Amino acid sequence: MTIVGANFVSTNYLANSLVGPVMQAQSQLTNAMTEMSTGQYADLGLQLGDQSGYELSLKEQVGQLQTLTTGNSVVSTNLSTAQSALTAIQSNAQTTLNNLAAWTPSGTSGASLQNMGQSGLQSLISGANTTSGDQYVFGGINSAVAPIADYYSTPASAAKTAVDQAFQTTFGVLPSDPAAANISASDMQSFLSGPFAALFQGASWSTDWSSASSDNTSATIAPGQTVTTSTNANQAGFQQLAQAYTMLSEFGGSALSSDAQQAVATAAASLVSQGADSMIDIQAGLGSSQSAITGANNSMSSQLTILQGQLGNLDNVDPTATATEISSLTNQIQMAYELTARLQQLNLAQYLPVT
Amino acid sequence: MSLSTAFNVISSSLAANAAQTAVVSNNIANVNTPGYSREIGNVVTNSYGGSDVASITREANAALLEQVSTSTSQAAAQQAISDGLTRLAQTVDDSSSTSSTSGANQNGASPSAMLANLQSALTTYADSPSSSSAADAVVSAASDLASSLNSASATVQQVRETADQNMASSVGTINSLLNQFTSANNAVVTGLQTGANVSSAEDTRDSIVTQLAQQIGVSTTVAANGSESIYTDSGVTLFQDTPRTVSFTPTPTLVDGANGGVVTVGGVPVTGANSPMPIQSGALAGYAAIRDTLAPEYQAQLDQVAGGLINAFGEGDQSASPTLPSLPGLFTTPGETSLPSMLATTGLAAAIEINPNVDPSQGGNPNLLRDGGISDPGNPAYTYNPTGAASYTGRIQDLIGQISATRSFDPSAGLDSSASLTDYANASVSWVQAQNQQASDASSYQNAVATQATSALSNATGVNLDAEMTNMLNLENSYASTAKLLTTVTSMFTALLQAA
Repeated sequence: MTIVGANFVSTNYLANSLVGPVMQAQSQLTNAMTEMSTGQYADLGLQLGDQSGYELSLKEQVGQLQTLTTGNSVVSTNLSTAQSALTAIQSNAQTTLNNLAAWTPSGTSGASLQNMGQSGLQSLISGANTTSGDQYVFGGINSAVAPIADYYSTPASAAKTAVDQAFQTTFGVLPSDPAAANISASDMQSFLSGPFAALFQGASWSTDWSSASSDNTSATIAPGQTVTTSTNANQAGFQQLAQAYTMLSEFGGSALSSDAQQAVATAAASLVSQGADSMIDIQAGLGSSQSAITGANNSMSSQLTILQGQLGNLDNVDPTATATEISSLTNQIQMAYELTARLQQLNLAQYLPVT
Repeated sequence: MSLSTAFNVISSSLAANAAQTAVVSNNIANVNTPGYSREIGNVVTNSYGGSDVASITREANAALLEQVSTSTSQAAAQQAISDGLTRLAQTVDDSSSTSSTSGANQNGASPSAMLANLQSALTTYADSPSSSSAADAVVSAASDLASSLNSASATVQQVRETADQNMASSVGTINSLLNQFTSANNAVVTGLQTGANVSSAEDTRDSIVTQLAQQIGVSTTVAANGSESIYTDSGVTLFQDTPRTVSFTPTPTLVDGANGGVVTVGGVPVTGANSPMPIQSGALAGYAAIRDTLAPEYQAQLDQVAGGLINAFGEGDQSASPTLPSLPGLFTTPGETSLPSMLATTGLAAAIEINPNVDPSQGGNPNLLRDGGISDPGNPAYTYNPTGAASYTGRIQDLIGQISATRSFDPSAGLDSSASLTDYANASVSWVQAQNQQASDASSYQNAVATQATSALSNATGVNLDAEMTNMLNLENSYASTAKLLTTVTSMFTALLQAA
């Protein structure tokens, strides 16, 4: 009897036919278990193939957005520090302005002008030298150096020397000299708006007063979005306030006549008022950067949600499907074991009578 | 019919029965021998009317055997390619990472992930340019990137060297199999001439061909005298009456750009770009593909990334009227004095390092990242921040821009020739993973085909124990009947003689 075709099965094949499928199911089961515990594909590269680069670029975008968001908090801190310093400067200016309005020339009133100037200048300088971390927030890009040197230092600061020198050049005496009482109000006015004002502008300002850079720092707050993230002590507001406070401090308590003192007070009041206004402008500028950062953070946060969703679509396995896969693989393996055992029983020799 | 004729019939029946029992026993003995072809005793009626086992047929199936060897070759080639690519893919294996939920440094170890980390570090540095820790972080990210390119390049070299060694051992196996084949083939040829049973020698031949197919794709033909010839799948003769010499000189060290030796069969090169008849399948073809095509292509991509990096971070002359050439900045190679051409980047990935002038652990100054002058510290021409302002971010922003700026790459590396560094590095990852995926899929598929073909062959030519047992029972019955017949005829003779 010859058996041919599909009906003929070799015993070797019959015995081993289940080995391959069982091994395959076991390796699938291992993968499925890993996927179940990590929630991601067991071999992501093998799963994604040429999508791997896209997946990486999504991860990079996520990383980039997270870095920018973290960086924005540093920038925000700097900006808030600058804002509060500016608020302090501005409110000091307002106080000075009120005090000046209430001031009337009298015998000892010069000293109060001088006090106003001195405290104003000190608080301006300390405000301008505010730091955030290791950065001077009003230094522009030159943030490692205090923007405005101490005016009242010993030995005399360059600024103080320059002021004394200008006064001496114009009037031939120092402000403290009793002969200064002869200076008329109109001479004083023209000195204040001429040689004295020049000390707070242009090259004199950067030589004697400010170490700040006029270049402001900028930061990328979102992909492709760069904003100015600082202001600097070279802004007109700082110059005007420094000018006003210095004239009060230097000439208020001097030997000047009441008329001349009045001229100083009037000139100072006008400068302080201008300075306070420009502080508000500067604050508005920084405020727009702050709101840009808030907006950027919001939009990046929603982008992050989208990107992470996309990444999840690529990387993550469906836990329900994996659970089903595990249980069906387990069934398959059990079935295969059972079959193997039964096939071993299917042997004619077992059923032949022993003779 | 005379009683003596009956005796003759009985004795031929017993002989035929013994011969068939021998065939059944042989079949049962080899029930678990892979590649054994079952034998069938062909019984014919002889001139006395009795039966003889005229011949023994070997239940061979040349078509299925051919299919087994072809699919085995294909599976072996794809397996070799897949193994090599899996190792290459480990250089970009980022799967252990989470979905980057806690910021940078979570992206794995690929050059691409390291590049993203560098970009992140630069972005952080741009927000705090006066912070030396931020500068250090950039230097260390850059150093990680350089090391990841170095180690990826080393892995490529290792993969190629391993493939080269595997080729050598594969060639050794082929030569030894061909020698074994010679004796089996001679046994068949002589056996056929003398009329001996050559089944076992034929089984040996088939088994050797199947083993050979693991190593190299083969096809076979059998001549009229029974001698079998073996050719490679590309048509080069491996064996015709005598074995051809397969030779190969291994290259122990395969640095970037070096080519390994070629395999020749009887003097004809069968691997390498200049082979007139390159082999298509078998493990040998797979190893050759890894060593000569796939790994070098990936190496070229790594070199392009390294070249792109050195160029992107190069420093130009900042004078009002520039006259000096651009020099390597943050990234360089030892002794490099100019920016490399993108068309000659061989060896850069293995050699790339960060400039010692900027590396604090080598006495360098990380602030040069912000100020420029890494290439030539102190030379005002290469200084971007002449005042040394602590919050100058122009250069840092410039470098961040360079990473995402579109640049030109050598198209011969197999990727888009115009892309940003980030995109190029990602495309390279895609390339490796796609190749790996394809090879893995092809390998699973070919393995399934080979298993299928082996099963089909086993079913067509293998032994079924139940069938043999049934035959055995038939033979037992026939033996018992013959014995009964013998007793009857003997008693008839006795009766005849007593009557006489």
